[in-house]
Amino acid sequence: MSEMGSVDDIKVEDLNLWYGEKQALYNVSMKIPKNSVTALIGPSGCGKSTFLRCINRMNDLIKGCRIEGKIHIDNKNIYDRDVDVVELRKNVGMVFQKPNPFPMSIYDNIAYGPKIHNVKKNEIAPIVEEALKGAALWKEVSDRMDTSALDLSGGQQQRLCIARTMAVKPEIILFDEPCSALDPISTNKIEDLILELKKDYTIVIVTHNMQQAARISDYTAYFLLGELIEFGETKQIFENPQEKSTEDYITGRFG
Amino acid sequence: MVHRRYKEKGIETVFFVTAAITVLALLFICLFLFRDGYLLFETSSFIDFITGDAWYPTSTPARFGLLPLLFGSLLVTAGAIFISVPLGVAAAIYISELSSPRVSDFLKPFIEILAGIPSVVYGFFGLVVLVPLIKELLGLPTGQTALAGSIMLSMMALPTIISISEDAISAVPLSLKEGSLALGGTQWQTIYKVVLPAALSGISAAVILGIGRAIGETMTVLMVTGNTAVIPGFPEGILDPVRTMTATIALEMGEVPQGSEHYHALFAVGSVLFITTFIINLIADKIKKKYKLKEGL
Amino acid sequence: MDAKTTEKFAFLTLKASILLVVSFVAILLAYIIIQGYEVLSIDFLTSMPKNRMTEGGIYPALMGTAYLVGLSIAIAVPLGVFSAIYLNEYATPTKSTWVIEMAINNLAGTPSVVFGLFGLALFVKFFDFGPSLLAASLTLALLILPVVIRASKEALITVPLEYREASLALGVTKWKTTRHIVLPAAVPGIVTGIILSIGRVAGETAPILFTGAAYFLPRLPDSVFSQFMALPYHLFVMATSGTNIAQTRPIQYGTALVLLMLVLAVNCLAIVIRKHYRNKLKR
Repeated sequence: MSEMGSVDDIKVEDLNLWYGEKQALYNVSMKIPKNSVTALIGPSGCGKSTFLRCINRMNDLIKGCRIEGKIHIDNKNIYDRDVDVVELRKNVGMVFQKPNPFPMSIYDNIAYGPKIHNVKKNEIAPIVEEALKGAALWKEVSDRMDTSALDLSGGQQQRLCIARTMAVKPEIILFDEPCSALDPISTNKIEDLILELKKDYTIVIVTHNMQQAARISDYTAYFLLGELIEFGETKQIFENPQEKSTEDYITGRFG
Repeated sequence: MVHRRYKEKGIETVFFVTAAITVLALLFICLFLFRDGYLLFETSSFIDFITGDAWYPTSTPARFGLLPLLFGSLLVTAGAIFISVPLGVAAAIYISELSSPRVSDFLKPFIEILAGIPSVVYGFFGLVVLVPLIKELLGLPTGQTALAGSIMLSMMALPTIISISEDAISAVPLSLKEGSLALGGTQWQTIYKVVLPAALSGISAAVILGIGRAIGETMTVLMVTGNTAVIPGFPEGILDPVRTMTATIALEMGEVPQGSEHYHALFAVGSVLFITTFIINLIADKIKKKYKLKEGL
Repeated sequence: MDAKTTEKFAFLTLKASILLVVSFVAILLAYIIIQGYEVLSIDFLTSMPKNRMTEGGIYPALMGTAYLVGLSIAIAVPLGVFSAIYLNEYATPTKSTWVIEMAINNLAGTPSVVFGLFGLALFVKFFDFGPSLLAASLTLALLILPVVIRASKEALITVPLEYREASLALGVTKWKTTRHIVLPAAVPGIVTGIILSIGRVAGETAPILFTGAAYFLPRLPDSVFSQFMALPYHLFVMATSGTNIAQTRPIQYGTALVLLMLVLAVNCLAIVIRKHYRNKLKR
């Protein structure tokens, strides 16, 4: 959708995915613009999370999962044979449904990625601080960096996970229903944060919450039964959907 | 980038090779046991070994008949199972269905401790306490009998039987129990008519593994059964001294010249023992897999 | 008999059964503790046997067992932990794993005296190590390998999948994820398994009968190719074929008590660690 006038960051072409014999995604194609928030919506089981996990190849971990088609990031098909999945995942970060901090201190959680990726020791502390500030968590935790990350509240944990992802300096961050386990106040904080983050990152977010999609996303993709039904600017999708089933879902007639 | 992929592959290969060592070890056990056992049949016949009713390794000519040892093992094992299965299943029912959490919290480690006591300590205790007791109480010429072995082995098989039975009983769905209780059945009727039948396959795995444990146990039987290599009567032979396959190997291997006929005969006995426990393990494994039971103690 | 009476009777039987089991263990423990307690002293632990083993202590047997434990654990732990990592982290559970799991289960069920025979044939004779600390330790290492593998695998399974996903999603390789995230989280469980196998090594007799245990040695083993004395074997020979079985009973009780205490301490430690760890996980 280059007519939208922005640079495309992720280009998906004819993506098909099978879990064993069962097909879960059918011929998905879309272009996700840079420095925008794209929401993936649809009833549960529609394939939106599955699709999200294709973008950083997390589906590789699932036994019996087979993928056909292409996803171009920076004009490179990430399913080419010579692609290093590890490099890909450095570039495409992911925040999960349930906050999943490591059982370590707050500091070590953020420092983990840079350390593993051989960042020099004296450069790590600034990165940690920057990431925590970026995730709007610095003020809350700067005086207790050595305490266990598991002692934080759910919302804080999720922002910690966002900071952890930022510390690796990706270009793209994928969010898999990041607020589904959080209270409304924490959800608000994460939403504000996502709006802030899109200046520097391309963001793709799966959400089951339509208001959330409407509030924070620039583009929306509606999935149903493994097919991409409709994709466009969020305003257009919500105000003037082209497809009947999109309208039904958005107006709450099913799903 | 390519370098990293090779490194990851290399690390995986190292892990695979170490994991394969277990398989290799099992193959080697077969190979070395069977090879040295097979050499016996260059000098005496296989039929004589399998059906021979006398084990006189030092007479001339020496006779290597398996039956006295095999029946000795079977008798002691049968006695042990006869005692430990009812006890073990009863204990498992008590732990999983009746006892309060606090009592179970005490009993479970207790049973683990039972499993941790070395067999030589069991044997020693049997020798100094149980053997004289049996002699006195039953007025026997010696207390070193199959019975002493069975009693000690039953205690040693208990942890296996209790832990797997308990797992099988706990795996019976609550809805099934509630169904019975809701029909006005007492707790015992529910246990006896609903829970136990549903857990029966799992309990059978426990019994089979208990048999494997008992038939392979060495030091305890060696110390308390008297080690007389004659075919025992059944069931009255339980009050006579017997000699098991394991005890024979432990007792005689230290004395024999390596490479002699006697040496190979002991390996042949070891092979029989190994094949027996191998089959027992396979069966128990199948049942455990099918009912998703844990490994047991 | 009506249902209520039957139930009462049945529950009484169950209680009697558990009481029987508990009192058997209690009697065994109490008997050995009471009998052995009189003999136990620092001197008993640190002096050599004297007067053709009718007097003196158990120092060489105690040290022999310590060497045996150290060496077997050093061999079995890396092998066991690596195998468990392969099975839980790398292998797809269809292909080769079935064979490996079957081998582990069968090794676990193989009688210890068969391990002894195997150790004799392979390590003592074929590799020509002779009856030695090395041959016995290798034999015992194989014996405890299934214990270490199972405990490590159990521990690895309990590490939440989310940790692995989080690390992999940061662009960390599988090995580094295993090394820095999965293994540290599994350490308490693995340690429990190692501790339990220490108890196992210390208590086993049959596997060392023909692979290197000695009836009596005037000194400690000076290399891995030396023969050695060991607590369980010492107890066995003193109780069944010593020069004067009745006269040396006190030494036997003392040896049994030391062995028992060693193994029980190790088991209790394992139970405590596991409990502590479980409580931590619950939090």
